[in-house]
Amino acid sequence: MKTPREILFERHQNAAPKLDAIRREVVWEGRRVAVPKFRVADTTTLPMLIWRELILPSRRIWAGLAAVWIFIFVFNFSRRDPAELLARKFPPSPEMILTFRQQERLLAELIGPNETQAAEPPKPFLPRPRSEERIETLMT
Amino acid sequence: MKMPVVAESEQLPVQKAREGKPEAWDALFRRYQLPLYVYVFELVHDEQASLDIVQETFIAAARHIGGLRDDEKFGSWLFGIAHQKVFQFWRKHNGKEVLFDEIPELPDEFENSPDDFLIRREQEAEFMSLLNQLPLPQRSVLLLHFVEDFSLEEIARVTETQLGTVKSRIHYAKCALRKLLEKNK
Repeated sequence: MKTPREILFERHQNAAPKLDAIRREVVWEGRRVAVPKFRVADTTTLPMLIWRELILPSRRIWAGLAAVWIFIFVFNFSRRDPAELLARKFPPSPEMILTFRQQERLLAELIGPNETQAAEPPKPFLPRPRSEERIETLMT
Repeated sequence: MKMPVVAESEQLPVQKAREGKPEAWDALFRRYQLPLYVYVFELVHDEQASLDIVQETFIAAARHIGGLRDDEKFGSWLFGIAHQKVFQFWRKHNGKEVLFDEIPELPDEFENSPDDFLIRREQEAEFMSLLNQLPLPQRSVLLLHFVEDFSLEEIARVTETQLGTVKSRIHYAKCALRKLLEKNK
């Protein structure tokens, strides 16, 4: 007595050499399975993983963004005031600072003291009937 | 005769195969080559076409192993690929032949064991003859049941059908086989 499985396998046992040849061809001779589509690399460290999963798939977008940032930086740099750059490059001497302060003082004396006018105190709010307010508005 | 062992999926080197190790692929294909061939041949009945389908299944498995989420389902996943290729073959060679059978409702009592059939030597030829007379969908599920002892859920996944349909197909196919075996006692 045999099970259906035993019967089926016995009937096709003669195909085994051909199947072995196919397996050899696919695995070893053809080398078709040695490089599967999804391959887990041995170096699955975090930087490698970030590089492979985040940067590499959208490298053109990253390159574009980098180019835009470089452009913005160059543009910003080129619009800087050259006098400011020169001032940073050559800081003023103590004599120059002294002269500048003297001139500032002289200018202040010529113009006079900078007095600020006191603000008018706010008028106290007196509630009036709405009808009076309206007449006043119309008259103006 | 040395037969491939059923239900050893947890020992299969699927992860190593995913890493691209040829030794692992060799072990996997060695395990499944004959069951796959039996399944394909009993549906196609053409030796060269069956060998081609097995080869194509191996290549497709190697290419798409990244899509397999559960390593324990490697067997049913591989048979699923072969099943699709068999039906592509059928469509190509038989045009729009109907591959679906009208299945009546399943009775309440349902047994499911591949070992409930024991066939005497003199019944073997008749068993094969009757198996080949079964409609293709019934033959397909019965072969998956006999060859790999897949669970009903796994057979449903391989054949991409409803669980209830799989149950019905197995039940009626088994009833037909049992009638034959009892008749010849």
